[in-house]
Amino acid sequence: MTAGPSRGRRYVMLLLFLCGFSIILFRLVTLQVIQAVELTAKADRQHQKTVSFEGARGMVSDRHGKVLAMNVEVPSVFGVPTSLESPSTVARHLSPVLHIRSGELEKKLRQDKSFVWLARKVEPEQGRRLEQLSLDGIGVVMEGRRFYPKGPLLAHVLGFSGMDGQGLEGLERRYDSHLHGEKRVTVLQRDALGRTVFPKGLAEQVPTPGHALTLTVDEVIQYIAEKELEETVTHTHAKSGTIIVMNPQSGAILAMAVSPRFDPNVVASLTPDRWRNRALTDTYEPGSTMKVVIAAAALEEKVMTPGSMVFGENGHMVIANTTIHDHEKLGWITFSEVIQKSSNIGAAKTGMALGEQRLYRYLQAFGFGQRTEIDLPGEVSGLLKAPKDWGRRSLASISMGQEVGVTALQMVSALATLANGGVMMKPYVVSEVRDQKGRVLKEVLPQVKRRVVSPDTAQTMTTMLEGVVTNGTGAKAAISGFRVAGKTGTAQKIDPRTGAYSSTLFVGSFVGYVPAESPRLAMIVVIDEPQGEAWGGTVAAPVFRRVGEQVLNYLGVSREDTVKIALATKDY
Amino acid sequence: MKTLTIVAGVMLVFVFVWERVDVVRLGYQIERLKVQKVLLERERDQLQVKFSSLAAPERIAKVATEKLGLVPPQQGQVLMVHQPGEVPSMSLPPVEQVRLARYVSTGRARE
Repeated sequence: MTAGPSRGRRYVMLLLFLCGFSIILFRLVTLQVIQAVELTAKADRQHQKTVSFEGARGMVSDRHGKVLAMNVEVPSVFGVPTSLESPSTVARHLSPVLHIRSGELEKKLRQDKSFVWLARKVEPEQGRRLEQLSLDGIGVVMEGRRFYPKGPLLAHVLGFSGMDGQGLEGLERRYDSHLHGEKRVTVLQRDALGRTVFPKGLAEQVPTPGHALTLTVDEVIQYIAEKELEETVTHTHAKSGTIIVMNPQSGAILAMAVSPRFDPNVVASLTPDRWRNRALTDTYEPGSTMKVVIAAAALEEKVMTPGSMVFGENGHMVIANTTIHDHEKLGWITFSEVIQKSSNIGAAKTGMALGEQRLYRYLQAFGFGQRTEIDLPGEVSGLLKAPKDWGRRSLASISMGQEVGVTALQMVSALATLANGGVMMKPYVVSEVRDQKGRVLKEVLPQVKRRVVSPDTAQTMTTMLEGVVTNGTGAKAAISGFRVAGKTGTAQKIDPRTGAYSSTLFVGSFVGYVPAESPRLAMIVVIDEPQGEAWGGTVAAPVFRRVGEQVLNYLGVSREDTVKIALATKDY
Repeated sequence: MKTLTIVAGVMLVFVFVWERVDVVRLGYQIERLKVQKVLLERERDQLQVKFSSLAAPERIAKVATEKLGLVPPQQGQVLMVHQPGEVPSMSLPPVEQVRLARYVSTGRARE
């Protein structure tokens, strides 16, 4: 029997098999049990692609649906420096397309990083040219970029958003929670070649875009206001200017123009001073326009009637060791004439007749010293001291529009109150918020703040303010065929060097409403530091006329002398 | 009977495989259409921005005055014509006026 060697071979074979199976078993346990979690994750990374989607930022349009701001997907260019062989050659190719210096690009591409942005949110044409170049290590991804197709139009109200789509200024900031799109992370399946097959949960993939805003602003009225303001600011070499046009019945803002303008598409090179919405962030001493408020308070409190006689002190009156002047020597004049001729002495006497507490109460009731609560960021409350902090001259000064700081928005709201029969409305710029399907999420209705004066007082004031335009300082605001009610204001500014009232720095303004008998527009024009003749009646009133006339024509508001014809038809 | 069962079994396997392949095929098709949709939406948005910028009042006024030689109407050159009893409206154009104009221009005269 020679079984020995045969048995030995069998044992060897068995041992080899056992070893082989042990190795396989060990490997299986390692892969399936010990490294299971890690390897599953690795497989998922290879087969699945996680992509972050952000819904487009909501559109902003004017009251007729004209687009003022919208998002468009544009290319952003990135580089992968670790995979570049010759950064200098790539930079030379990229430079003429991206309009960035070759050296600057090369510096970025030589960084020890696996990803660098080279240019974000460039023009679509630049993206197409880059794709044609098909450079290794250079890629293009699409990102939402905010466009303001009307350029500088309404820029101070719209504001702008940042590179990552967050609202930074104006409505973009105030309504950011509505405007920004939803961010959603989605898992896409990839095949062996790395191509995307189809996403898990297809319906859930598209993120919801931001909500759309409809404004009360009319782009044509806004254009008219900006055009006229820009011309005047340029012509008078003024520092800045503001126009607000409001519907007095609702408080809806139809236009809010600020000069100098800026283009929200290119804000990188500008300073915050340029994009500040001066209509609600800057205060000024209103000067004679404040006499409207004093007069309304005096009429309401029956301290004065339009026919009450007031002595003008022949142009000079001493109060608290200081002299108040009028620009003409006036004797006995009616209270109506105090407003028409804008008498400082008459206004001071009226204020003194009202007394500190009553005057302060009416100033507050007309909205001074507090925010109007308009739906825009950055609004200030102005400056209105409490009577306990007033000096001996304060009563007279405030009656003439000094020692008090107001915003243009506060002043036009006060006048709009009279235009609206004594009822103050809350100003607003956004009338509707809609979701991506066009469903109304929020509708803003006109909101009454309070009744400030009676309808009779408002009517009497309208008559007196018409006198300012027909016979007084506001003659240049007159619009042919319409009755205009308004008031001029010329305020000296405090000279920052001396701390005293300047003899050369002024704010000229005109605030009013038209047509006086049934007001459709309340408007303020403020020109800051015009050079040369700075009277409100000279620099601001003509702007009121020009804007008012064009806007009334645009709105189809009838003139007093409207031609009424019988329409004839003809048989053909 | 046995052959029939085998054939049915093979058919079922084929149907199953065909269904899996078709799901993948449709997946690719959906992906292509989605890309096409995104591209078209992008083009639509770009055109809308272009349209909006071309329709800006500032540009229209510039073209009207500089290219076409038009001038804004001067004071007193605009006359509003309203029908007797019509209340002037803030909105433009008044619906009644438009309807009336169409009625007259089509020549379908009064009965």
